[in-house]
Amino acid sequence: MPRLLDLVAGSALDRRFEAIVFDWDGTAVPDRAADASSVREAVEALCGAGMDLAVVTGTHIGNVDGQLAARPTGPGKLYLCLNRGSEVFAVGEAGPELVERREATDQEERALDAAAEATVARLAERGLRTEIVSQRLNRRKIDLIPEPEWSDPPKARITELLTAVEQRLRGAGFDGLRDAVLVAEDAARAAGLPVPKVTSDAKHVEIGLTDKADSARWIFSELWQRGIHPSQVLVAGDEFGPLGGLPGSDSFLLPPDPERAIAVSVGREPTGVPKEVMALPGGPAAFLALLTDQLERREGGDLPEPGGDPNWAISVRGFDPEHERVHSSLLTIADGVIGTSGSPVGSHPAARPRVLAAGLYTGDGTDADLAACPVWTRLDGELPHALRFERQLDLRTGLLRQRLGRKDDLECLLFSSLARPGTVVLRAHGVRRLLETERPLEPAAGSVVTEGLADGATWMRTSAGAGGVVVAAGEALHDERLDRLAVYVPDPSAVPDTEEALRRLEAAQALGYEGLLNEHRWRWAERWATADIRIEGDDELQRLVRFALFHLMSSASDAGEAAVGARGLTGPAYRGHVFWDGDVFVLPFLAATHPAAARAMLEYRLRRLDAARAAAAEFGRKGARFPWESAGAGVDVTPSFAYDQSGRVVPIRTGELEEHIVADVAWAANAYAEWTGDEEFASGPGLELFVETARYWASRIRVDRNGHGHIYSVIGPDEYHEPVDDNTFTNVMARWNLRRAADVSRGHIDEPERRQWLGLAEALVDGYDPERRLYEQFAGFYRLEPLVIADVSPRRPVAADLLLGRARTAGSQVLKQADVLMLHHLVPDEVAPDSLEPNLAFYEPRTAHGSSLSPAIHSALFARAGRMGAAVDALRLSCRIDIDDLTGTTAGGLHLATMGGVWQALVFGFGGVRPSAEGLDIDPRLPEAWDALELKLQFRGDPVRIRIEHEALEIESEEAAAITVCGRPGRRFVRDAGNWKEARE
Amino acid sequence: MRKLIAALDNSLAAGSVLATADCLGSLFDAELEAVHVGEDHERIPSSEAEAAGVPLRRLTGSTVPALVQAGEADDVVALVLGTRRLPFGGRPIGTTAFEVITSLLKPVVMVAPDAPRPKAFRRVLVPLEGTLSTSLAPKGLIELARDATVDIVLLHVLDAVSLPPFTDQPQHEARAWCDEFVARHCPWGVGHVGLEVRLGRPEEQILAVASEVGADLIALGWAQELEAGRAPTVRHVLERGPTPVLLIPVHLPNEGQEERSKSWNSSRSLRA
Repeated sequence: MPRLLDLVAGSALDRRFEAIVFDWDGTAVPDRAADASSVREAVEALCGAGMDLAVVTGTHIGNVDGQLAARPTGPGKLYLCLNRGSEVFAVGEAGPELVERREATDQEERALDAAAEATVARLAERGLRTEIVSQRLNRRKIDLIPEPEWSDPPKARITELLTAVEQRLRGAGFDGLRDAVLVAEDAARAAGLPVPKVTSDAKHVEIGLTDKADSARWIFSELWQRGIHPSQVLVAGDEFGPLGGLPGSDSFLLPPDPERAIAVSVGREPTGVPKEVMALPGGPAAFLALLTDQLERREGGDLPEPGGDPNWAISVRGFDPEHERVHSSLLTIADGVIGTSGSPVGSHPAARPRVLAAGLYTGDGTDADLAACPVWTRLDGELPHALRFERQLDLRTGLLRQRLGRKDDLECLLFSSLARPGTVVLRAHGVRRLLETERPLEPAAGSVVTEGLADGATWMRTSAGAGGVVVAAGEALHDERLDRLAVYVPDPSAVPDTEEALRRLEAAQALGYEGLLNEHRWRWAERWATADIRIEGDDELQRLVRFALFHLMSSASDAGEAAVGARGLTGPAYRGHVFWDGDVFVLPFLAATHPAAARAMLEYRLRRLDAARAAAAEFGRKGARFPWESAGAGVDVTPSFAYDQSGRVVPIRTGELEEHIVADVAWAANAYAEWTGDEEFASGPGLELFVETARYWASRIRVDRNGHGHIYSVIGPDEYHEPVDDNTFTNVMARWNLRRAADVSRGHIDEPERRQWLGLAEALVDGYDPERRLYEQFAGFYRLEPLVIADVSPRRPVAADLLLGRARTAGSQVLKQADVLMLHHLVPDEVAPDSLEPNLAFYEPRTAHGSSLSPAIHSALFARAGRMGAAVDALRLSCRIDIDDLTGTTAGGLHLATMGGVWQALVFGFGGVRPSAEGLDIDPRLPEAWDALELKLQFRGDPVRIRIEHEALEIESEEAAAITVCGRPGRRFVRDAGNWKEARE
Repeated sequence: MRKLIAALDNSLAAGSVLATADCLGSLFDAELEAVHVGEDHERIPSSEAEAAGVPLRRLTGSTVPALVQAGEADDVVALVLGTRRLPFGGRPIGTTAFEVITSLLKPVVMVAPDAPRPKAFRRVLVPLEGTLSTSLAPKGLIELARDATVDIVLLHVLDAVSLPPFTDQPQHEARAWCDEFVARHCPWGVGHVGLEVRLGRPEEQILAVASEVGADLIALGWAQELEAGRAPTVRHVLERGPTPVLLIPVHLPNEGQEERSKSWNSSRSLRA
């Protein structure tokens, strides 16, 4: 047999696969009596090298495990999908363990018996003798040619067997094998099996409840849950081609999207193979050669191929010095602890690789800046000019691939491990001169480091404020392959010792590249399982939404505290300072998909509660006053002036006056509690948060002679107008805060104080005019110059304050962003019923969207109001803010709050999903142009999948979860005269 | 040795031209030579050159061709000449100056007759449109200025179309925007240049900011086309401003097409 490499070179098989799904009899072994020791060794070695393998066969565990007897130790997995789709075993060192079994009901067993008997009878009616030869798990097998000559035909005689069977059937007046199968299908349905799975191997007809396609569905779903895309899987069999007019048995192994699968047949295939299958005749010997080839590729350090779905990838082709920093931001890989820009690994003057650590600041006060950490991604070679260069970020697995020039110039794969945050991995293949480096770490520009060598590893340490970061890195250069591993240990409270970084590096090295890759991929798959959103009918939006979700998931640690700055870990702009962006825009996403990270964000606030109390006291108030802009210490770090983009000096009063942040933090805590049902939080630290923020408002509100409550001199979300009195957003959020605190603190604080809160809440003015059903944004708003944006600019968004000047803007009704409308989004129960549309009609034309936070909120509200075209337009704009660099500042990092807003638009706006203490209610609005919207969430610890179509809605969740659609409990719904009605079974 | 040529005519501009050229010589690290075309009307050029201790070379032939030929010499880095003979702002560019700057493919410094006589250049204003030509043009100057410890102040003038649509938190947004503008359009100046941003008409803002920051020189890249309707910024700055202007010729293929591609704003936006 020719060398396999000679046969596959240049073909679809000339690459590394992440998993192999294969048939047993005829593919891996010639028959059930054959010695399978070579296959066993190959399977165990491949699992040891990190590959997943799955056998899919019609026979049972005794036959397969008895012959294969593999005992893999991992990290790759071995699955046995047996009994024609009815069973799955996972095989480990201790042997096979049942994972899943389809159990037939008594009724189904009886129906199978009846179907088999009826089939035999119908065939006998025409004089054809057949026999029921076995009753296997969930199926019955009928021998179509029960003659001694054909008692146990080998695979090699398949053509003769088929001829003999067809002759026998035609002799009885049937139209070949296909006709026999039709008889069996008909008999099965008549026996009460609504979806029988009837197949034939020429000698037999099998009637069952499952078939190999069920195995294939299971295994591809399982691999997907481990971060492996179907295009990364090799499917191997020996019977793909049709047999007697019926699909070949191994054609059932192909994943649902066949053109993406790589399939190979090692069988004789007398009728040829389908177009999506490669022919590599040679039987089990050819299959073994395939296994050996894959093992060699892994041992040689080949890089995994990317998953083939463009809806999961962001690619940058070429190198554009002008936009390089934007591209690097877009391609950032992060793990919640550190973030690394997607800069090229080679050097170039325009490339500025950077690594940032969450919550690690240098400087104090307004000069607090996110510390730049040593860089691990650089190779010393200069990026050659005018060569092909491509970078691709796989959003599903968090792998960043870089390809330079022809395939063998340089190719590398980088990732920041989500499974062990702070650990980063680089593997590069290429010409040696591009791989050689003086050292694996480089200090950040302008930073001061101490460095050294220990146990073969390089370490660097840099201080930042009271703390610092230590990085330990090791690398190995083998011929034309470089492996680099680094571990970052940041600590904002003390400069870390090198020991911890070295210890973690050693542990990572012991796990090895494949182990680290697998666990990272699995962790990303886990996160997507409760966070993905599918938009069917708009591929462009689909990809952009996943881009947003990817960076949201990368942004926050799920341990300790998480300081999520305005640009997260994707860039240094906004100096890593924390605003309401995190509490109101990012946290809800995490609360609903990965609660531990949301809890860590709240921990950031809780650990600064004392600083908030001190701030309140400084203002002569009680309770806690969270800062508008916060860094490490929890004090306000808002500067008092700045230059705007037109060069004018502007006073910055947000630190002094934008106090709604106090209620925003409480709102975030409430959102977390509602999504998670975390009673321990709600009765412990959450309670303290509610009480302290309520106390702040209670001390802040001034009650006039008429008993009306006022909050004077604040700035609302609309920062074009400052200061203002009775900003509706601030007042209503304060009211909500007081009421919520009163509710949760019953029995925990003195009753007079609780009643005082309720009284103040009731007294607070909110600017609502019930006749017009409008809220006045602040006292005196209606008296301002009644400009709308169309009077100012032909397009939006527009920085109206720069265009008109601050003074004129402040004197007009032009708004920076959603202010009154923000209430309808955050606290819809606190605003008057049916007030959304009049306020949307009034305020939306006045909104400049001078804040990048604004369009997504409007998208959500447009969706609630049924204005779907505007909703989708606003959503698309939000999604494109960074991709198109609309602000001109994406080079400094991505707009995380906008991304959180995108998620909220889809879930709260289009999905109409609302958590509460009672449960989760869904009231969707689907745009005409979309075929479906599918949301994956986590509610009260249980995964929830919601699929919304125009005429149907389906919910998958634990039965006990209190989920309703427009108030109605159920899991399947259909449209009925515009309303949702539970579907009948 | 590199050379800087100061073209002196028999007008009030001669002294300013020579003083400006002297300061520029330090910046360019170039030797200064004064020239005068013709043997007549050389009283002022002679006396100014003598007073400055600079040799005066007499050129023959027609004025413009003689100056252009002198400027084209390999060792000449720039030519300095008066914008016009008479002071008083608002007057058009003199004929000689017009023809020289549209012919000579070298940097030319234009000095107004009423420009003060500088003792040294401390600050240079470099307006950048955010296009490739205006970005590349002053590269050499910026690198020289860095070594000569001369302040470079970049200026970008926004208009209603190019204005970034989002202001978010101005205390951070402006800084992030400016950092990226410099990185993108003046990467050789990162860490060494300042950036002023204004909203309005470029020609007006250039003169205003030059005055505001006390610029000794304004450096403009341009395509050397001064026909009616072309180069309005160059024309206005030369006609109205007292500050010397260094005009750096730049000729790039498809120059017109790059303009919109450099716009900060995407075409995707909500319609008002």
